[in-house]
Amino acid sequence: MDKIILEIRDKAQELLETGQVEVVIGFTAGTLPGKSTPCFITRGEDCELLVWDEGCKNNLANYLVKEKRKAAIIVKGCDSRSLVNLLTENQLSRDRVVILGAPCPLTEGCEGCQIKSPVIYDYLVSGKAGKTGEDDFHDVKTFARLSPQERKEYFYKEVSKCIRCYACRNACPACYCRECFVENNLPQWVGKSTQLADNLIFHLTRALHVAGRCVDCGACQRACPMGVDLRILNRKMLLEVKELYQFEAGLKEEQELPLNTYDPGDPEPFLAGGGEA
Amino acid sequence: MKEPKIVAFLCNWCSYAGADLAGVSRLQYPPNVRIVRVPCSGRVDPLFILTALKHADGVLTAGCHPGDCHYTSGNLVARRKFALLKSLLDFVGVEKERVQFDWISAAEGNRFAARIKDVTEDVKGLEPWERWGGRQNG
Repeated sequence: MDKIILEIRDKAQELLETGQVEVVIGFTAGTLPGKSTPCFITRGEDCELLVWDEGCKNNLANYLVKEKRKAAIIVKGCDSRSLVNLLTENQLSRDRVVILGAPCPLTEGCEGCQIKSPVIYDYLVSGKAGKTGEDDFHDVKTFARLSPQERKEYFYKEVSKCIRCYACRNACPACYCRECFVENNLPQWVGKSTQLADNLIFHLTRALHVAGRCVDCGACQRACPMGVDLRILNRKMLLEVKELYQFEAGLKEEQELPLNTYDPGDPEPFLAGGGEA
Repeated sequence: MKEPKIVAFLCNWCSYAGADLAGVSRLQYPPNVRIVRVPCSGRVDPLFILTALKHADGVLTAGCHPGDCHYTSGNLVARRKFALLKSLLDFVGVEKERVQFDWISAAEGNRFAARIKDVTEDVKGLEPWERWGGRQNG
């Protein structure tokens, strides 16, 4: 048996049995092989159901926002970055949550992932994370080299697949607004149907809403039943925030979010001539 | 091409006053623009601009020059949003000229008139805007 999972189970059991937490949020085997599913464990003896394998892809931080009980959560690199974000945004209180950090179980990992080990934790499960790749934003840069017409066609084609189930929004730990603009009726920003215009506005606005907060965990894209390439928009914003404001989300708790602040000398690339004139 | 429709979001304290000055100075500028007065350029949500593009061919957003904001920093906060919005729109293939930003002070009636003229000319020079793939009315 894998040493990592044994350590996770032991720790989870200890936390539950000593009453330090009321619930452990982790993964258990799913109904399909290779598809682990998030689970909420409240009894110490159930901790043997926990798994930590290739299928543990969901971003568990998402469940913590609505969790009222004192909870322990098992996190990998990107989940922990989401936690940092939620803490900076005052969506969580640090004393209500016990963080069990574990190395990312995905051996191949996600393209461009640089941080596989948790950045914040109370207990760190030992073990080596899979290999990380250099994030050179290869995909974004290649896409940007296409002609505007091609980019527009690609984006329109992708977004026209969207059935507006909002799975991307619901899976995203950064999307926690109580009232989302898509559900607003006065004014009604976007219609309820899947008209292309509304789909486009939804996805562009969502990319802007999570700009500077998205940790590129890929939960949105994995949750999408229609296979829309959502990550390219988020990664474009990631690159832009990094280049313009030297900011990467979810690395430090004291970081001020880039869109909550400003610098008097910020670049103005949107002005004609880059603001030089 | 049919006359393009331009929506201009103008900040109450500078750019709207700049537009007013252009008016009282009897400066000529194209009649294609529809002005929406907002309290501050910081009030302009990217969603306003995206929604405006459902009904119009171009959008201009203008606010006080950095440092001159009535609310001290509204335009500085807006600046970051605009930078991201503009690059995102460019990324998905919306022409740069379609969505423009500028700083226009209350004393710059000339600059307002010139900017409206520029935006209108720019948008006229583009392929017709399909309004997010939506309908073609107005």
